[in-house]
Amino acid sequence: MSRSWTRSTSALVGTATALAVLTACGGGDSKTSDAGKGTADKPVTITFWAWQKGTKDVVDAFNASHNNIQVKFEEIPSGNAGGYAKISNAVKAGNAPDLVTVEYPMLPEFVSQGSFQDISKYVTDDVKKQFLPQSIQQTTLGGKNWAIPFDAAPQAYFYRKDFFDKNHIEVPKTWDEFRAAAQKAKAADPKARIGTFFPDDPTTFEAMAWQAGAQWFKADGNTWKLNTSDAATNKVADYWQGLIDDKLVQNSVSFSPEWTASLKDGSTVGYLGASWSAGVLKGTVPDQSGKWAVAPVPTWDGKPASGMLGGSTWAVPKGSGKTEAALEFAQWMSTTEAGVDARIKSGTSSAFPADIALRPAAKKAFDTSFYSGQDIYRLFDAAGGSINANWGWGPSMGTTNTTLKDQLGKVAGGSVKITDAIKSAHDATVTELKKRGLKVEG
Amino acid sequence: MRTKGRPTGHTGAGVGTPRVPAPGEGGGRGPAPTGSGGPADLRAGAAASGPARRAPRGARSRTNAAAGVLLTPFFVLFTAVTVVPIGYAVWLSLFTEKQSGLGFGGATTVFSGLDNYTAALGDRAFREGFWVLAGYCVVYIPLMVGGALALALLLDSTLARARRFFQLALFLPHAVPGIIAALVWVYLYTPGLSPVVKAMNSGGLGFDFFSSSGTLPSVVNIALWEWLGYNMVIFYAALQAIDRSVLEAATMDGAGEWRTAFGIKLPLIRASLVMVSLFTVIGSLQLFTEPLILNQGGSSTVTTTWTPNMYAYTAAFSRNDYGLAAASAVLLALAAALLSFVVTRLTNRKGAKA
Repeated sequence: MSRSWTRSTSALVGTATALAVLTACGGGDSKTSDAGKGTADKPVTITFWAWQKGTKDVVDAFNASHNNIQVKFEEIPSGNAGGYAKISNAVKAGNAPDLVTVEYPMLPEFVSQGSFQDISKYVTDDVKKQFLPQSIQQTTLGGKNWAIPFDAAPQAYFYRKDFFDKNHIEVPKTWDEFRAAAQKAKAADPKARIGTFFPDDPTTFEAMAWQAGAQWFKADGNTWKLNTSDAATNKVADYWQGLIDDKLVQNSVSFSPEWTASLKDGSTVGYLGASWSAGVLKGTVPDQSGKWAVAPVPTWDGKPASGMLGGSTWAVPKGSGKTEAALEFAQWMSTTEAGVDARIKSGTSSAFPADIALRPAAKKAFDTSFYSGQDIYRLFDAAGGSINANWGWGPSMGTTNTTLKDQLGKVAGGSVKITDAIKSAHDATVTELKKRGLKVEG
Repeated sequence: MRTKGRPTGHTGAGVGTPRVPAPGEGGGRGPAPTGSGGPADLRAGAAASGPARRAPRGARSRTNAAAGVLLTPFFVLFTAVTVVPIGYAVWLSLFTEKQSGLGFGGATTVFSGLDNYTAALGDRAFREGFWVLAGYCVVYIPLMVGGALALALLLDSTLARARRFFQLALFLPHAVPGIIAALVWVYLYTPGLSPVVKAMNSGGLGFDFFSSSGTLPSVVNIALWEWLGYNMVIFYAALQAIDRSVLEAATMDGAGEWRTAFGIKLPLIRASLVMVSLFTVIGSLQLFTEPLILNQGGSSTVTTTWTPNMYAYTAAFSRNDYGLAAASAVLLALAAALLSFVVTRLTNRKGAKA
């Protein structure tokens, strides 16, 4: 029997079986009894899924200092690389862990799927006031709290100081200057690009629209109002279209082998990222230590403004009967010096805590030698305060961002303009919301 | 009663009823949609002469009992891992999740009839997937069948040297799992990493495998690399089975290598040709692994909904819409069944005329 037939059958069967297994016993059971916080004699063991850098160190530190709660950490792939699918499938299958990580953009999607527990009664005003207000706003949906913020992720611009100095390029403060700097860099070295358009990562583009003042999703009563063709979004779209058309930026998939290779061979000399990128960049090109520096992200008018690019929270999936213990651990990670210290000391994380009081601790723990000792946390601090408070994520970011990603991938080839890509994502979102039975305008 | 005239009783489809089928019961007549037509017919042809001899009564019932015992494990597994999941997928495709208010109150699953089917068919991304498949088939199938055939004929010709070596060398890529093959090729396609791209660039043959025009050739190339040797072996085995005296007769009549290849050998291995074409068509419809790895490995022009299979995967795992995923999977399966039915029907009719 030919293997091709076997393969096609097993593919079909596999898909069907996977679907069958995944959807078995959908919906979460609402347990009323909670295991509480445990005691030294009867410790509560919780399971925790995350992918953030340094998480293992945090868990080890917590387990060493606590005897009432023990955490079993399981590392999962990062969200878009399969982590989110793993979480939602586990919730549907009824075997979800007690605590998971989710980034701000995807939180509404999970909440609307009914995947997480409402933790409003644990997020008291005392808890709220510890955090950057924008991070609480992002985790409050429909008047309820769904997650404990961990970090804020203000945008930042990373650049090769040695290249900029050598070629007398000023670090751009505005987007106009950014374009001029890109031209200058290209003139100095035909291969050099001071930034990358990530065709696979709609959140980078969304952060820039956010920074410019766009507000794609607005809740009005029980109606979602979508607006993706406002002046701010169009301005950002046209600007990036110009950079791509004039080949002033790289076009490669974020953190792909291709992109990493371009960092290593010095053809990518700048990167528009966020606070967490400092640690990731350091881990990606460790041998370029001392060559990189960080600047505030360029803005339209020269005044500080930022969107948020990612940023993590902790949420309790439906079905967990250990909510109290899970939240105890989540708060320890987010709001204690020991928790933040353990993560950043791991050397791979440059998380910028959403808990304002912990920033000095984070700053102290981060080894800035890669950035020649630059005070990058002071920079993040200023950027964090300038995060535009208007933006909120929609309830179907899975659909919105998948569509946007697919269309942005075609922009470099010229068959699709960025504004077309946004239009496609808009239409797909409207269709999806209607399919779910929600009211939507726009 | 089985007679020589009903060889289908021995085919894969015929064993669906372990008891003797009632006369006129056409259960085994059209095995086409199950895709087992090709090889089953071959086997049936060989087997028909043996058991068709009348057996004494006792031996018959013993045979039936043995058949029952031997077939049970197959049917248990077949039911558990094929029938039930397919049935469940169809069931799932009839439901959708509805929310209320702003959508933050959780979701309830409701029966939605064929809504998921209309949603899938109404989605341009899903329909475009079929066009991509069509383009892929147009490029891939002729290359694959033609290439495998050409290589097999070459190996079978009197000119060939080192047959065993080439057989092994050509077959070897098939031993590499599809995922690994795709990963290796992604590396070879990646600008800045790949020695191949570098060599092509310095030779003035710059080609961007990740560009929108490079996507299809990139995927076709991986699939060819994986499957060419495999199909070649099937053709080669069929060629080797040809009665040598026929070929000698052709040579005696003055036919050269070309004439022998196209006038004698090709018609004699028609059954293998049909089988390989059929499996290649079905395999093409299932296109998934290679483009998915390309999509995750750096080619942004391969979208997450590039083929219908990828569409189903994305619907389930990025959009959390299991109903839509199930519906699109069922639609793809229907398309595959229809296409294999058409292919077998067409080739059977031609075969009857010949």
